[in-house]
Amino acid sequence: MSATTLDQPVKPAPARKNAERAPWIDWMVLPTVVVLAVVIGYPVVYTLVLSATKYNMLDMVPPRYIGGGNYQHLFTDPIFWTSLRNTALYTFGSVIASSLLGLTLALLTESLTGWRFRSVRALLLTPWAVPFVVVAFLFRYMYLQNGGVINAVLLDLGLIDKPVLWLNNSYLALPAIMVANIWAMMPFFFLLLSAALAAIPNEVIESARIDKAGTWSMVFQIKLPFLRSALFISSLLMIISNFNDFAKIWAMTQGGPGYSTTTLVVYVYRLAFENFNFGYASAIGVVWLILLLIFALVYLRAVRVQV
Amino acid sequence: MSSVPMRPSPSENPPAQRGLSAGRIVKYLAIALALFWSLAPVYWMLATSFKTELEATRIDPTLIPVHPTLANYVGLGGQSLPFFAFFLNSVISCLATAIIAVVIATPAAYALSRARFRLRGTISYSVLLFRMLPLVVMLAPLYLLLLNVQLLDSVGGLIVGFTTFGLPFAVWMMKSFIDAVPIEVEEAARVDGYPRWQILLRVVTPLILPGLLTTGTFVFMEAWNNLIYPLTFMTTMDKQTLPAALVLTFTGQFKTDWGGMMAASTVTTLPLMIAFFAVQRSMVRGLTSGAVAGA
Repeated sequence: MSATTLDQPVKPAPARKNAERAPWIDWMVLPTVVVLAVVIGYPVVYTLVLSATKYNMLDMVPPRYIGGGNYQHLFTDPIFWTSLRNTALYTFGSVIASSLLGLTLALLTESLTGWRFRSVRALLLTPWAVPFVVVAFLFRYMYLQNGGVINAVLLDLGLIDKPVLWLNNSYLALPAIMVANIWAMMPFFFLLLSAALAAIPNEVIESARIDKAGTWSMVFQIKLPFLRSALFISSLLMIISNFNDFAKIWAMTQGGPGYSTTTLVVYVYRLAFENFNFGYASAIGVVWLILLLIFALVYLRAVRVQV
Repeated sequence: MSSVPMRPSPSENPPAQRGLSAGRIVKYLAIALALFWSLAPVYWMLATSFKTELEATRIDPTLIPVHPTLANYVGLGGQSLPFFAFFLNSVISCLATAIIAVVIATPAAYALSRARFRLRGTISYSVLLFRMLPLVVMLAPLYLLLLNVQLLDSVGGLIVGFTTFGLPFAVWMMKSFIDAVPIEVEEAARVDGYPRWQILLRVVTPLILPGLLTTGTFVFMEAWNNLIYPLTFMTTMDKQTLPAALVLTFTGQFKTDWGGMMAASTVTTLPLMIAFFAVQRSMVRGLTSGAVAGA
């Protein structure tokens, strides 16, 4: 049940009764409900309807009901499966890497105090304030074959003997975008995990110290268990946000070369706004919606959200 | 840090002390590396924005601009593309979204946090689920909806689009801020005989002001980051937002002009950077109370 209810000390009955006698407070939720119903509820229902139709805006004919036709097509559509795989690789790869990096940094900076901690934290958070599109162009520039700083440095160090075409190679393009994504996402994990570390009760750390726990056992046996829920929640939040990530991929490769960096967002965007195939795009949207709902349920259960 | 041999105090046992000096060097090296990794790309963007077109794509890149120039920034103002208009379009649509979202969301968040009506649980869960909806699922129907109400290619349509993620987020975040306000404060005012609406205005509002600011900033940042809505809803180039304009013009104007591109990128980053660091402190509090303490 609700945290607020549990936290309330037992008050004299009259005061509590008073609290409940303001029905207009309940109605303050109405504007939100109305707006969400229009901008989200309606489109979602409409997507369900469109997904059962053949509808191409360019044909100039109204949507025609074809039942599960779009869904049947989807199962034999190799590009759908490729983009599903790319989405999973991109999302889980980036989230795992940046959460581990963020965790390491949170642990490393934990002992810093005062202005040192504040300035290090502020500097480490900088990538968070860089817009996604700028992240994309910045890395695209650094990945350039001629004049890109990454190739120049690697050539200087002798690690490669000729410039690598990072974004034009169908094996390297997705990992290359992921590096940019990890760069942009790590500050989020660093910040949340730092805060979670600071929230560990002092007594726990002290008593572990008295028990002569070494650095490693301190981290793995004492601290990590305390960080589990923060780690889980922040990862799930970022998984969801990465499922939706369009800006970085589109601005760096537009889904290419070939379909090697086409994720579901990019594919649906292409279907809907380059081919205007709204029916099929909607069907993919619905399948994706179901996948995301499964995640959402796991998330809600894991967090045991207090509503 | 003292190297003077001392009896270890009970809280600092000897093995930890011994591992410290070597461990410390590794630790500081790692932090330095992390700082480099986080800041080097940002420095590179800034440095390049002051380079000439030729210098920006040299095979052996220069660390510091050899012939620093402001031409890239000046060029943004006076070329065929209305950069100032893009900038203004972004600021207006994102700011409007942030304000609208916070204004609509805060009363709802208060009701969801404090009141006890029947649909409260359902509404709270729906808001959370809406927050997780993939944007592209709504793309086609939202496009058709805006087409029907003639809001395509207008700031209004863009704001409707941004609201689809801004509003659920704002409700969710404001609720966690309001949850953190002890109810005793309100009850004390009630016992003193203040009417409910005055308590809301004079007691609760000042207490959640940092939360309002943080939430607004976050919505602003998310809207600023969004590319897919302006790309699909806006057809007139002059009405485009900054990120979408960057993507659309790159094939033309900036094809090889990386100096100009990085200048444009810097201008795109600046508002976000300012907003982010202005609210960083209350943001840390807001995010952690929402995501960590909420667990």
